[in-house]
Amino acid sequence: MTPLSKSDAGAGPGPLSYLDEASLPLPFCPGCGHAKVTRAIDEALVILGRPRERVVVVTDIGCVGLTDRHFDTNAFHGLHGRSITYASGIKLADPGLTVLVVMGDGGAGIGGAHLLAAARRNIGICVVVANNFNYGMTGGQHSCTTPPGGVTATCHLGNLEAPLDLMGTLRPSKPGFLARTSVFADDVPALIARGLATDGFSVVDIWDLCVAYYAGQNTLTRNTIGDLMTDLDMPAGVHFEGARPEFARAWRDLYHPAETADDEGMCLLPLDAGLAPVAESALKKRTGILIAGAAGQKIRSLATILGAGAIMSGLHATQKDDYPITVLTGHSAAEVLISPEPIVYTGIEIPDVVLILSEEGRARVARKLAVLPPESRVYVEAGLGPVETPARVIPLGLKGAAQSVGRLAIGAVGVGTILAAEGIYPLEAFEAAARRLQKQKVADTNIAGLRAGAALAR
Amino acid sequence: MIEFLEGNDAVVRGALDAGCRFFAGYPITPATSILTGMMRAMPEVGGLAVQCEDEIASIGMCIGAAMTGQKALTATSGPGMSLYSENIGLAIMGETPLVIVNVQRQGPATGSATKGADGDILFMRWGTSGGLPLIVLSPESVGECYTLTRKAFDLAERFRVPVILASQKEVGLTRERVDLDAARDACAPSRPRAVAPADQPYVPHAFDKPDDVAPLSPIGGPHLVRYTTSMHDERAWLTGDPAVIARMMEHLRRKIDDHADEIARFEWAPDEGATTLLLAYGVTARSARDAVARVRAAGGRVSLLVLKTLFPVPEGAIRAALAGVSRVVVPEMNLGQYAREVRLLADGREVRSVTRMDTELVSPEDVIREGGLL
Repeated sequence: MTPLSKSDAGAGPGPLSYLDEASLPLPFCPGCGHAKVTRAIDEALVILGRPRERVVVVTDIGCVGLTDRHFDTNAFHGLHGRSITYASGIKLADPGLTVLVVMGDGGAGIGGAHLLAAARRNIGICVVVANNFNYGMTGGQHSCTTPPGGVTATCHLGNLEAPLDLMGTLRPSKPGFLARTSVFADDVPALIARGLATDGFSVVDIWDLCVAYYAGQNTLTRNTIGDLMTDLDMPAGVHFEGARPEFARAWRDLYHPAETADDEGMCLLPLDAGLAPVAESALKKRTGILIAGAAGQKIRSLATILGAGAIMSGLHATQKDDYPITVLTGHSAAEVLISPEPIVYTGIEIPDVVLILSEEGRARVARKLAVLPPESRVYVEAGLGPVETPARVIPLGLKGAAQSVGRLAIGAVGVGTILAAEGIYPLEAFEAAARRLQKQKVADTNIAGLRAGAALAR
Repeated sequence: MIEFLEGNDAVVRGALDAGCRFFAGYPITPATSILTGMMRAMPEVGGLAVQCEDEIASIGMCIGAAMTGQKALTATSGPGMSLYSENIGLAIMGETPLVIVNVQRQGPATGSATKGADGDILFMRWGTSGGLPLIVLSPESVGECYTLTRKAFDLAERFRVPVILASQKEVGLTRERVDLDAARDACAPSRPRAVAPADQPYVPHAFDKPDDVAPLSPIGGPHLVRYTTSMHDERAWLTGDPAVIARMMEHLRRKIDDHADEIARFEWAPDEGATTLLLAYGVTARSARDAVARVRAAGGRVSLLVLKTLFPVPEGAIRAALAGVSRVVVPEMNLGQYAREVRLLADGREVRSVTRMDTELVSPEDVIREGGLL
């Protein structure tokens, strides 16, 4: 990850122009405002004076997306409406870069979610919207900013949609800088320079004429563009200046420890202590265990400890969970497969052992219970009543045994019962796994439950 | 060190060990734990992880970060792959190294969000406009989620192309015993980014032979870097010249397809005298292994080819495995997608597709019975 470099802080006198003279003239229609926008961006960059190598011009699709290739800076020309996403990735990775996005009203419309998110994040990129009220590149269709009644190729009797007010929409997010102007005003370079200098997200909404399509059909001219602002109640000027922390820096300040070395090498994470064996198991064959309980019974973490305990007994284990999207209600079930041999196929076609802890769990596995063979064992909380299955049913007072330990301990009690009754592996391995992987209080509860369950089985 | 981990955990570890220091993603079952794992892990290694407004922004940010020199990762499931589609094309066009994990779930559309399938296999290869190649790897275990994530980063750097790890719920969210230290020791050192020399002019898409891959220069580094979604020449300048476009298309195709053997990873377990080949990948390869053991224990003969590289299709390995057999059985957790690729190489041999897309694993019994192996 690129650190913030000192050379990014102060800027000496920069180039006299950031345009690539060899690429001129600009490709825009005679009279199109995009040429003025391009020149204004160049003037703004000159005001800022950053080294060319530290400037990135990001564009997307639309006529104004042709500008990037005329800048003698880094240039990134991406997919329609997505320029803010590329610019954000660039800024996040290298926060010292000056990142400028140039898009049209088309890009602002299709990429609206990115505009909103970038403003909320306050990520340090400057977005210049060359806003000419229609899609010029594809022949003058209406856009998100076409004024009411405006005539375009896709609303030849007049636009019925309300135009998007970029300033009004983004202002509540309190980004770094928001301003609107028209391409005929004198303040365009200065406003873009202020946007570029902002330590946060900035948008400069520049109203512009599409001479090929929009302006002629709608009698929009240099002289009437100000009236349109008045009519739509979307005035020119600075609409917001904020001082929230810039996202790329704020993220580093919050999440990065003071002395983080990026050594690009091996994983620096503090790894869990391993699950080296602490016990031996006499288990001879692959054993599939199905635990069927309810949300809140800690089935998933319990299944993980059950599997980890197997591994700490020198066995192999897999675990799969089954729970609804809304995790605090309904069933929670887990399949744990334990085997003295490496586990190849991870499916449990016929569970050897089923543990039923709640009504929700029983309902969830009813289909499987109905087809169990007689040799499978079903351990069930006695309070749940009879279980319909050809397998051997073992009702136990799990709930009662759990009462002395804690309300959440019924699962651990059940697992203790299974481990003791089935002799899958020694209890000490489960206890060691709980101590290794769980917080002390949780491990204490599970171990107490395990022992209560084992006593119940005896 | 022995641990009890999910495939998604192993992806996070593999990415970090590969030198990945940028992650952007959007929550989606069953890939979310890669996002949350990265949010936790990245600060510890001086990297950066961000949750985005949608999947389009996730891959877009990764492409931007990758072009500043970062090894970048994003992770999603089928619906998110659909939103990645256009930007996968951009990464191909701009020759951006990028790793994408697709923890597949049963589809189409929202499908069974918490259940597994391999329904995106052809979509991953063909899911962006233009039809140019990328690389798809398929892990069958938690350990392979680690090793193939490492490999995916290496291949992305080697070929400057997006590499997709075709995981799925039954691998990503299944916990199993694994020793990632041993897996790490078995991996080749991670491939560093090849960086263009600072003292020479930089040509972003330079090649002499069509299959050459140019080194990158980071945006913000010593060169001015140009990048474009539009048809361009070696210098990333727009072009409409059919001869130049043909050259660039040949480059983007041949840098991958000419190296299919180099990219191919597979396990080949021939059975002398077998007339049936079992060809499998992903979690279903585990069912196939189990089925092979049962068939051989019962005195039957069957050869097994397990593919880790799905695209480019490892044609050499498949043709070699086909020699001497009269039929092929291809079990898959979809309606028979990769079997289509196998048929293209089968030279008239019977290709029997064993399919299941009801969210259950294809069982070893399914493979044996429907594959007619015993």
